[in-house]
Amino acid sequence: MGNFKYLSPEWAQEATRRLQEDLTPEKMKHLTSSMTTIYTNCPDGLERTVYYRLEEGVVQEVSLHLEDAPQAEFTIKGDYETFAQISRAELKARAALMSGKLTLKGNLVKALRLAPVVDRLNEVLATIPTDF
Amino acid sequence: MSQATVTQDDPYFVDSPRRIGDIQAEMARQGIDVYLGSRLRTLSWTLDAFCPWRSYVVIPPQGLPTAITFVIDAARVEDDSWLDEDHVWGYGPMGGQDQISLLRDLILPHLPGGNGAVGIETGTATYLPEGNLTQYEYESLSEALPDARLVNAHDIIDRLSLIKDEGTINRFREASRIVDVGHQAVREAIQGGGFRGMTETEIGGLAAYAMRKAGSEWEWSFTGGNEIASGYRTGLAAGACTPASRRELRPGEPLMVDLHAMFKLGLGDHAHNYLLGPATPRQHWHAQNFVDLVDLCLKTYRAGISPTSLADEMLDFCEERGFAEYMVPGFEHGIGMMGDEWRIGLNDGPFPYWTNPDHVYQAGEMVICAMQYACPEEEIGFRYENPILIDQDGCEAMSKYPLGIEEI
Repeated sequence: MGNFKYLSPEWAQEATRRLQEDLTPEKMKHLTSSMTTIYTNCPDGLERTVYYRLEEGVVQEVSLHLEDAPQAEFTIKGDYETFAQISRAELKARAALMSGKLTLKGNLVKALRLAPVVDRLNEVLATIPTDF
Repeated sequence: MSQATVTQDDPYFVDSPRRIGDIQAEMARQGIDVYLGSRLRTLSWTLDAFCPWRSYVVIPPQGLPTAITFVIDAARVEDDSWLDEDHVWGYGPMGGQDQISLLRDLILPHLPGGNGAVGIETGTATYLPEGNLTQYEYESLSEALPDARLVNAHDIIDRLSLIKDEGTINRFREASRIVDVGHQAVREAIQGGGFRGMTETEIGGLAAYAMRKAGSEWEWSFTGGNEIASGYRTGLAAGACTPASRRELRPGEPLMVDLHAMFKLGLGDHAHNYLLGPATPRQHWHAQNFVDLVDLCLKTYRAGISPTSLADEMLDFCEERGFAEYMVPGFEHGIGMMGDEWRIGLNDGPFPYWTNPDHVYQAGEMVICAMQYACPEEEIGFRYENPILIDQDGCEAMSKYPLGIEEI
């Protein structure tokens, strides 16, 4: 099996499959929430949004959007290359946020509480063989 | 589990939603689209929670306000306040989560087309933690909201918070009851020569312990908590601020005990004085002067008088009795929920951000009846403070600790 192209529909499908398989509701603290990650300056010059929806700790949806992404409880925005560095484990998400490379919209108190849960989600995404 | 006081049958209930509604009505009248509060007094009055870190409250034209505080304290502020998790935000050093970004995010949706007026709080104060918007914040907000007008609007809060509601008054009564417990503890500790070997800090500490046991949240005053002075420190010229020192109490000297307790943001503030025996007739003369003056002052406070008319009357008495040169010529300072200290009433006097000397007291206002007697050359002085509630015919002194300066 070849690598998945980062932020392609196939990548999103594989992400959904792996997240649902690898993350139990217990691991995800039975969380119900939603998050969008907005990638600016993609290689083709466009902006893309990935929307994640969790219900009771189960990932229900990972969807790609070029425009009109659904509203989410949390939004993380940053440069495509920054997200790629995080996915390649070259940069920690926390460090990217603390340095301002990523911006977060949403209640920080809640976000800090959910940070370990999101880390678990990112760890699974990092296992997808990906071409950036 | 919440510490908030939200039930109407609670004697300490304050109607926070109504306060917000009153602010919003005044905003509409003045053409202000969003109100950004940053002063400690505003935060206490609108959130009903203590905000020790740099904090803000954003009040939209309708609906609930949102508080922003340092993220490490946001959950606690939410627990103490009447607002829910979605209306208490934390800021931190993180992309999109710094103070200015959050303020912009909260304010911008209420400015039509990015235009409009944002009410802010600026000015100056004698009180260090007043919390006016800083120059950096002002400039950063101006940049983040380039089409908005930032308008100084603190008068809205100052006017609305002037007359105290029943719940607030009851909080002050309880804080004063607690202060009296502190005074009783001090009295018991120093009597019968117990003061020998004690330091001012020890007096402050044992009072604090007694008051905490009685329910005080902290010795709120920024002037060093409980202010204790002995000997020459009681008589520092024009001195009315004495954080406790390590000085040991000595026989033959005066002792000034100025205690502070806080109960649900209501403030206790009462000063009582002693002569540590043996006292001289001259010390007793000074003490009697002061007690008589305090007694007269408490009998004089009522609606319709002003700081100037009161001072004139009191200073005439001092002159008549021959101790005018020892009196600091002021007989009050302002008070309200935590953070509202020093200036009385509105910012409408001849000197900006000082009490208007011609402010006419109304029934329902509270002040600290405050007097300072200082005779540096004889190393003696006294202080009286007591929160009072002004009514038509007089005033209610909240601390019930007996007035007097006893030789102990």
